[in-house]
Amino acid sequence: MLLGLAFLPAIGQAIYYRGAVSWQQPPADSAPVSLAQAKGWGGAVLWIDARPEEQFASGHVPKALLLNEDNWNSLLPLVLAAWSPERKLVVYCSRQSCDASHAVAERLRQEAGLKNVYVLQGGWEEWQKGGQ
Amino acid sequence: MTGDAAGLHRFDWRLFGRRTLAVLAGAVFIYAGVLKVRDPLQFADDINNYQMIPWSVGVRLAFYLPWLEVLCGLALVFHRLLAGALAITIALMLVFIGATIWAKAHGIDVACGCFGTASSNLTLTWHLVLDGGILAALIFLWMTRER
Repeated sequence: MLLGLAFLPAIGQAIYYRGAVSWQQPPADSAPVSLAQAKGWGGAVLWIDARPEEQFASGHVPKALLLNEDNWNSLLPLVLAAWSPERKLVVYCSRQSCDASHAVAERLRQEAGLKNVYVLQGGWEEWQKGGQ
Repeated sequence: MTGDAAGLHRFDWRLFGRRTLAVLAGAVFIYAGVLKVRDPLQFADDINNYQMIPWSVGVRLAFYLPWLEVLCGLALVFHRLLAGALAITIALMLVFIGATIWAKAHGIDVACGCFGTASSNLTLTWHLVLDGGILAALIFLWMTRER
């Protein structure tokens, strides 16, 4: 009975998280970049925060720009205004297993046609561990 | 008062001890479960770090197991569905301990995720001591449970 009962809240929570989880495979590591490597790029990095606005408001990488899929059309112009060909875009979301950074990075490549787009391994969680 | 009547009012220390142990064990599972319920994605990462099961299975377990722990913990605390709760929690502990040893044997450096981020600084030895203690308590409760 306990084994069955546990399915009910688990399914409810899974539905709540359905858009934030990569269900079939770990979040793709296309163009991954470690925190140390990204920091090594110094001022050439344009940090892109792919988390929801409220999480961005509660803390983010200094000078990072908010760009998430919920407000893509209104936020993308701000990113494009800050972008220049020599800059490297490093996109992050909450943690390693979140999918938002990969989705935003893919759209930046495909829809905005930008190159040098990377995904920060470990996301915001890794940045915080880094003591920044 | 007769001898029999006095016996009825005698405090049963063994029963009290078993119930207390069950409440403590249940509280541990509730605590561990709630920590993971609050952050299933982190738990999915922790499961994935063991490299024992595919991501697609691990991420689903990350949503299911914490709730199972919470429900089993509640069952232990409130003394309901006790045999089932004990059987499940003993099985869970055996799996946790086995996975930890397996990961260590394969040179995989894992945060066990047993207590969410609260346990990330525990050494392997302390993990095993803690898990072994909980397992021993659960087995004792299983052996002495009222049938």
